[in-house]
Amino acid sequence: MKISKDTLKNISLLSKLEIEKSMKEKITKELESILLMVDQMNEVDTDHVKPMSHPLSKAQNLRKDLVSEDIERDEYIKNAPQSDDGYYLSPKVIDQK
Amino acid sequence: MSEKTEYGDWEPVIGLEIHVQLSTESKIFSNAPTKFGIEQNSQASIIDLGLPGVLPVLNEKVIEMAVKFGCSINAEISNTAIFARKNYFYPDLPKGYQISQLDDPIVGQGSVEIECNKEKKLIGITRAHLEEDAGKSIHDKYDSSSAIDLNRAGTPLLEIVSEPDLRSAKEAVAYLKKIHSIVTFLDISDGDMSQGSLRCDANVSIRKKGESEYGCRTEIKNINSFKFVEKAINFEILRQIKIKNLNKEIEQETRLYDSQKNETRSMRSKEHANDYRYFPEPDLVPLQISNEYIENIRKSLPELPEQKISRFCSEYGLSIYESEILNSSKEMSNFFEEVAISVKDVKTAVKWILGDFSAILNKNNCLVEDSLISSSDLVDLLNCLNENKISGPAAKKVLEILWNEDLKVEEIIEKENLIQISDEDDISRIISEVISKNPKQLEQFKKGKEKLFGFFVGQVMKTTEGSADPKVVNKILKEKLNQ
Amino acid sequence: MNDIISLNLEDQIGLLETKKISSYELTTLYLENIKENKDLNCFISVNEDALEQAKVIDNLKDRQSPVQGIPIAHKDIFCVKGHRTTCGSKMLENFISPYSSTVFEKLENSKTIMLGKTNMDEFAMGSSNETSFFGKVKNPINPLKSPGGSSGGSAAAVKANLCAFATGTDTGGSIRQPASFCGITGIKPTYGRVSRWGMIAFASSLDQAGIFARSALDSAIALEIISGFDEKDSTSINSKVPNLKEETTSEMEHSIGVPMQIIEKIEDVNVKNNFLESIKILEKNGFKTKQIELPFLEYSLPSYYVIAPAECSANLSRYDGIKFGYRCDNPKDLEDLYVRTRSEGFGEEVKKRILIGTYCLSAGYFDAYYIKAQKIRAMITESFKNAFKDVSVIAMPTCSNGAFELGSIQDPVKMYEQDIYTIPANLAGLPAISIPSGNTEEMPLGLQFIGNHLEEGKILNISHQFQKLTDYHV
Repeated sequence: MKISKDTLKNISLLSKLEIEKSMKEKITKELESILLMVDQMNEVDTDHVKPMSHPLSKAQNLRKDLVSEDIERDEYIKNAPQSDDGYYLSPKVIDQK
Repeated sequence: MSEKTEYGDWEPVIGLEIHVQLSTESKIFSNAPTKFGIEQNSQASIIDLGLPGVLPVLNEKVIEMAVKFGCSINAEISNTAIFARKNYFYPDLPKGYQISQLDDPIVGQGSVEIECNKEKKLIGITRAHLEEDAGKSIHDKYDSSSAIDLNRAGTPLLEIVSEPDLRSAKEAVAYLKKIHSIVTFLDISDGDMSQGSLRCDANVSIRKKGESEYGCRTEIKNINSFKFVEKAINFEILRQIKIKNLNKEIEQETRLYDSQKNETRSMRSKEHANDYRYFPEPDLVPLQISNEYIENIRKSLPELPEQKISRFCSEYGLSIYESEILNSSKEMSNFFEEVAISVKDVKTAVKWILGDFSAILNKNNCLVEDSLISSSDLVDLLNCLNENKISGPAAKKVLEILWNEDLKVEEIIEKENLIQISDEDDISRIISEVISKNPKQLEQFKKGKEKLFGFFVGQVMKTTEGSADPKVVNKILKEKLNQ
Repeated sequence: MNDIISLNLEDQIGLLETKKISSYELTTLYLENIKENKDLNCFISVNEDALEQAKVIDNLKDRQSPVQGIPIAHKDIFCVKGHRTTCGSKMLENFISPYSSTVFEKLENSKTIMLGKTNMDEFAMGSSNETSFFGKVKNPINPLKSPGGSSGGSAAAVKANLCAFATGTDTGGSIRQPASFCGITGIKPTYGRVSRWGMIAFASSLDQAGIFARSALDSAIALEIISGFDEKDSTSINSKVPNLKEETTSEMEHSIGVPMQIIEKIEDVNVKNNFLESIKILEKNGFKTKQIELPFLEYSLPSYYVIAPAECSANLSRYDGIKFGYRCDNPKDLEDLYVRTRSEGFGEEVKKRILIGTYCLSAGYFDAYYIKAQKIRAMITESFKNAFKDVSVIAMPTCSNGAFELGSIQDPVKMYEQDIYTIPANLAGLPAISIPSGNTEEMPLGLQFIGNHLEEGKILNISHQFQKLTDYHV
């Protein structure tokens, strides 16, 4: 499977990664070789198989709707690269969602 | 009506996506509180923050609430709802993905009936699914930064998606109000649009009347009141009509509603078509919701307002008008039923509750749930009235006293001497007395002065201190005077 | 005294129980050895409070757990409250976790002493411990060679006697392959047997915590402690943890399945012969073996290299420079923050896997890649299910080669092929163990046993029995 410049650009944008210009060719080739290996999957007929997203067959365990009061805001925010007055800070977001 | 003529032969096609914040104590995947904290980030647990290594565990209450909703819209409930990751980057989305549902939502196809312009219409609901809310970003607190508060991150949401069955802004409002009344009635949300516990996005497109294909649609966001829903949708419909009338194409996009300018505008972002790359959430396994569980919830559901209204009509013989007023609140409808079940004549109950009882509530600025007259008191009163123990006017007096004093109906009747005389022999005797005491008037009456009938009635009432049953008095007096 | 740190766990426990040595002394010995072997680069951080904690434990009145006082190491993927937890990445270089993982807590409650956090491939992605931001780990047997990965630091630490046993994680073989390269025992339990709470996620439906130790019996003791249902982990299995020590040492009969189609395809003659010899040893000593088929196993690698990157691409989205972790300097806007933080904070392998994962999940490719891979996963799981109708354990080599030279594998696919024999057990969620089985070119090889769902006892048992018949693990 060939990865075009546009494809690399698209997946980079979606995953918020930038490959340095000097590395783009190498990385593209490596990604292509990985996908080539992955394409081996096409040798298998899987038409009547149900996909498996969990190796378990258990049912989801549930939690009671109770509040626990152990939130340590100031401890947690210590790891924030930039914070002020209990807020996490990011560069100004221009557009509302 | 006017909006239809404005549209010419264009037909608006509208669908609403409503996000309802479920009123659980704790969040959907963590046990942090959902009440609004005063302090920013004081209700964001490590799970809500998406710290490395944390895992979600599902709150059982949200399933109950979602199933309640599904039952009330007659929808299919899934036995094995699956969660999925919706991937995108935004500062108020801590994990860089939202845990939501794509395939196999907990609630499937359902419908609700709305009334708009006196017409009833069935609006389809495609699905309702559970997901977690994001946090909030504040853009005007700092000059070059946005402040992120993740208190709201992880609050449970039920996203309700309607079929594109709405054909006007007014219908959209009616539908929104209907959903609002259902979720508040079921007590699964406080439905407060101004606080964001009920949010609405509208998908709007237009097509020529008679066409079956859908036109290109836009998504309108940032609508935070019922009033603005109508305005925003109307604006958008007209905007699209203008464009199409110029033979141009509608661009598929997301637009924000500006309530100050009353217009929608395109989001300025260089938003590449967001590919959310949904895939099943591997940290959660499929739910198993048994049919038994669903049935138990269905059985436990409180009757919805419109179901009650029809039932009152058929069960108690009420008119729709009467039934609607008696169902103006849950409390009023409960009060009425308590009375209706024990009272001898329901029609009297209806008349009195809508009339004198409501008047007393209004006079005292009171809601029925704070009434100083209980339903059993009212039953006693109405039964006495129906049994002719007291007269109508006497009953009104009793009602007043019931409100002001802590006495039972029987006690008041005795104390105030309000027992009505309705025994025909007794009344006959009294009437005979009165007639004999007033020969002049009798002669005048017999000569044709029919007005004097009232005089005799008055005299009987005076003699009995108002406690003679007027119906019996009238009947016997007529007989005697015409002898 | 130095020999004490090379004793197996059972014996060290014995010395502590009989007070022939104190935990303080034992911890001191290990810390000294860690210092001496600094250039192996096994540890990202050493616990400064270890000796203090050992003192406290020595002062406890009675023994509250079998492993009380035993010094151990944790792979730096397990969050430990108040300590740096880096996951081998620049992204979390200075992250101090405000909470602890269940694995850590269970071992801490059992009164072990944490000597430090071990080095690992970045975000557990790698098979050679060469992708760590904190530098490569060297194989203690030959420092020019790789210890395997991603849990290379833990494996090397156990081999070099820098701890009594160590925790690790295994997503595609990251415990078993390093165990094989370093000549020690490594076990990955059934998916869901050990809680993932506090274990930094790479691929959520494949990740599982496990143990490195000097023998199957040692690993049984440790595994039992970390196993068990955890209500904080929705993928945790609610099943009673058996007495693994007992199951390991009990009289158990086995019927060993050998997938000959796979064995026949092994290219390296030494590896093939080594495996066949191990099977012969077992047969000679009365163990039944049976040829089995494991259809579709050859598609494990492609299936894994869709599913794992897909899940990791989402799991690593939280690293955005806002709430914790690395942040680039002077971002000019939000997009710049995201892109530069992540491009500077992640290493190349991690970025590649995120890109592959994003690709496989993206519109137009989802069905062909992600869904297809999950279907193959289902088929492989079915293959194992069928095989286990006839046999109690399955034997395979752990890896198709011994430890290679650091830096010698540059082709990503060649590196991924390190895991062809280990990945199937992860896809099917089955327990698997690697034990030393001899050498090739003076580097150890590993024999792998795969068990049925929740049957850790069986694979521990056969491993223990093999270790009674051989001395590769000594």
